[in-house]
Amino acid sequence: MKFMDILLNQKIFSVMYNISITNLLKEVDVDSKYIAIEVNGEIIPKSKYDDYLLKNNDRVEIITAVGGG
Amino acid sequence: MKKLVLNGKEYSSRLIIGTGKYKDFGETKLAVEASGTEMVTVAIRRMNIGQDKKSPNLLEILDPKKITILPNTAGCYTSEDAVRTCRIAEELLNGEKLVKLEVLSDSKTLYPDVVQTIKAAEMLVKEGFKIMVYTSDDPIVAKELENIGCISVMPLASPIGSGLGIQNKFKISEIVENASVPIIVDAGVGTASDASIAMEIGCDGVLMNTAIACADDPILMASAMKNAVKAGYDAYNAGRIPKKELGEASSPEEGKITDVK
Repeated sequence: MKFMDILLNQKIFSVMYNISITNLLKEVDVDSKYIAIEVNGEIIPKSKYDDYLLKNNDRVEIITAVGGG
Repeated sequence: MKKLVLNGKEYSSRLIIGTGKYKDFGETKLAVEASGTEMVTVAIRRMNIGQDKKSPNLLEILDPKKITILPNTAGCYTSEDAVRTCRIAEELLNGEKLVKLEVLSDSKTLYPDVVQTIKAAEMLVKEGFKIMVYTSDDPIVAKELENIGCISVMPLASPIGSGLGIQNKFKISEIVENASVPIIVDAGVGTASDASIAMEIGCDGVLMNTAIACADDPILMASAMKNAVKAGYDAYNAGRIPKKELGEASSPEEGKITDVK
């Protein structure tokens, strides 16, 4: 099985080659309900999570709402 | 109380509270309930990957039927970062366009960078965002932000988290007098009387976080703030008496049984 590195929330993760966002979320155990995702600075809408395939060295941000003023 | 209208929605409560600095989500939830608020601010941050999936998300503990979520660009120091944060918030909240715009100038004073704020507001208005904007107490800047198309202007009472209360009553009054959008005092409230004063000078609402979250008893303070905002609002509408330099007796002169001194 082929693997690749991505930068996920500023940490290097080794994941399956061309993994979809949906599968990445399963991999890191994150519910898609309360998040937004950016890949290389571009927001990926939730409707595209199944089809969007990540590439080697992609910079992925999983963002959520936290307590704040 | 007359309802406060923001982004076409009516609010019975004129108190908006932040969700930062609470001990846990349980305390956040109780404080939100005790405050009677119908709008809370949240921050937009990277998710902590690897955290226990069973631990709830902040958005799960807030009832969307009762509480409007106001995502905040807190922590942004440039217009670009603020615009990016608003776009992310829109995606996160399923297309909601209501945002709190806050662009800071430095981490020491936490004063708003009004140049960057104006730049961001101009960009966000073009993208259809409904902006409640945190700003300085400068009446000219406040009016400019209104003219750009912000739906509410939110001048600081004093620095964020300082608890110094309203240090600039006359400037806030000036902003209120000139405004045709809701003016909400945001930041600097320390205790209940500060919230009352903001409302007594005609503000449309008060936004606070630290004053409640860092009180010894946040739940009790949340309730105190609810009462303070209502008391101040009612007092403003009731119309206060003019201030006089000397005393004026409350009892009639006529029929007095003692001599005048």
